[in-house]
Amino acid sequence: MKNLLQKSLVQYSVFAFIVFALSIPSYFLLVDRIWLRELDENNALMARRIETEFNEQNISDEKLAESIQFWNEIQPGSKIETPGRPFSKDSTYTVRRENPYSETEITDRFRGLKTSIKINGQTYTLIVETNVEETGETVGYIAVLTLLFFLILVIGFWILNRRLSGKLWQPFRDTLQKLKSFQLSSPALPDFEDTDTIEFAELNATLSKLLHHSMTAYRSQKEFTENASHELQTPLAVLKNLLDILLQSDDLTQKQYGIAEEMNKALIRSSRINKNLLLLAKIDNSQFDSSMLILFDTVLLQSMEDLQTHFNEKNIRVVSDIAPHIEVKGNSSLTEVLIHNLLINAIRYTSPGGSVRVDLSKSGFTVANSGQTSLNPVLLFKRFSRLSSATGGSGLGLSIVREICRFQNWAIQYSFESGRHVFSIAFRVTPANPYHP
Amino acid sequence: MKILIIEDERELARNIVNYLSRENYLCEVATTFAEAMEKTGSFHYDCILLDMSLPDGHGLEILEQLKKDNKQDGVIIISAKNALDDKIQGLKKGVDDYLTKPFHLPELAARMYSLLRRKQFDNSNIVRQQELEIDLWAKSVAVNSKPVALTRKEFDLLIFFIGNKNRVLSKSTLAEHLSGDFADMLDNHDFVYAHIKNLKKKLNDAGCRPYLKTVYGTGYKWEG
Repeated sequence: MKNLLQKSLVQYSVFAFIVFALSIPSYFLLVDRIWLRELDENNALMARRIETEFNEQNISDEKLAESIQFWNEIQPGSKIETPGRPFSKDSTYTVRRENPYSETEITDRFRGLKTSIKINGQTYTLIVETNVEETGETVGYIAVLTLLFFLILVIGFWILNRRLSGKLWQPFRDTLQKLKSFQLSSPALPDFEDTDTIEFAELNATLSKLLHHSMTAYRSQKEFTENASHELQTPLAVLKNLLDILLQSDDLTQKQYGIAEEMNKALIRSSRINKNLLLLAKIDNSQFDSSMLILFDTVLLQSMEDLQTHFNEKNIRVVSDIAPHIEVKGNSSLTEVLIHNLLINAIRYTSPGGSVRVDLSKSGFTVANSGQTSLNPVLLFKRFSRLSSATGGSGLGLSIVREICRFQNWAIQYSFESGRHVFSIAFRVTPANPYHP
Repeated sequence: MKILIIEDERELARNIVNYLSRENYLCEVATTFAEAMEKTGSFHYDCILLDMSLPDGHGLEILEQLKKDNKQDGVIIISAKNALDDKIQGLKKGVDDYLTKPFHLPELAARMYSLLRRKQFDNSNIVRQQELEIDLWAKSVAVNSKPVALTRKEFDLLIFFIGNKNRVLSKSTLAEHLSGDFADMLDNHDFVYAHIKNLKKKLNDAGCRPYLKTVYGTGYKWEG
């Protein structure tokens, strides 16, 4: 890819080349015309002078004939022919003659004038010829000069371009840089550089307005989620507690108990969704400290122990390869949630009798569980997009995992390899390869 | 035992009182910050349930006042704030326990039970029920002075039952208790049954009487 100025430079250069190329024949024609006209004038002047000189000598006709003959011999550039018929109009012509003094065969170009003069009352025909610059040479000189100017122009463009892109485009590049590093969740609008270029000032103003709108929308959406979850907690708590009290009634029938228990289950689920939404909102708001040092292996082993009964119950075989003393930077509570969610996910979606593989190394953490078909990796991490008919999840588990990864600057990837759903997390993401949702 | 419930949601406070007053607890309610400050300033409570966000003040100030007055009241925070870091912050401020709304009343009862036991006994903290002996500090169980090896979960379950004696605990409530704080738990609650079966069997094998009863098919009750 080329930048804008390079692109225009090429266009300008091509155009300049065409113009300069066209200018070469025009210049030549012009210069040649001037040459010839000037020489015609010169020849005419010569003719008048010869005529006057001869007349001023006041010599006899015999002497004149002698003189003319002598003239013709020593003046190769002109010739007086006697006697001639006077003609009404002078004629000019261009002729090429061989250079008798050159060793190599060179023809020179001559401009001639054929006119009639009167000496001692007698009409003579006079031919005057002057050497003219060669056509080829003229064209050559003009072409070389034009090319030189063309080069000066292109080099000038190039230098100007570099200076322009350095100076003129500086505010644009500044804006671009700030946009690149801008995130909707960042606390303030990017502070664009002041510029006196109308286009850039307009661009910055428009961008600021646009970003401000987006940020407001984003913030109010986040606030709404958080507030809604908060507000829901009290009524949920009241309902939950009333059910707890209901269960203690002495005259409760088995059927009524069953209904209460179903209500309880539904309530537990809605509180879970609510809690997870709140957690997502808090991660979005960066309300966690992500600079703790965590012993990942310890947390992982603890989680696996906690969930052992669930693995056993579904008869899932767990194979693990956990390296000791894996220290990572992040938030301990969130890391715990992340591990838990991935393991629960594996338990939930592995069919009974299947297997789960858990690997931990210095570079990353992988949970793989047996499955039938590959899942859509885009929908997989989306909120509330369940890819299986299995109910029970809050539909937020993997979104939370993704958000935690993003928050802690880890990269998560899903792949389906030889009958396994593989969720792998890479610690320490290099800036060159950040995770994009 | 005197309990102060500082909670601005009257409905919630009433339910807590309703559930707890069946025990040997004397419950008082404060619904505003001012009322709470007045009560904590003039009386001693064995346990204070504190909602952090009150309309006219913050629960944190009550905590600081208690500390300044060098009061030994046990404090359990009940909060709508779910931030995990908040919890750690609260515990650092000398809070004994932390519950996030919405919670189950048996969960609250069990936590209060443990807290009050901890406050009452300094060195050894043993709960006895006839032949059954539970050491809350050492986390060990003995029947007829013979130790019974329980897993962490089984012990946890036993304490939960002891903290809710003679109460009906549903399977889902137990499941939520066992799966902890922030687990995106499975809706399959059968694992509760497995834990209870094991607990029952171990106690039974050691010669303990069947205090743990099944009610309504899927509920449980510890009689004592």
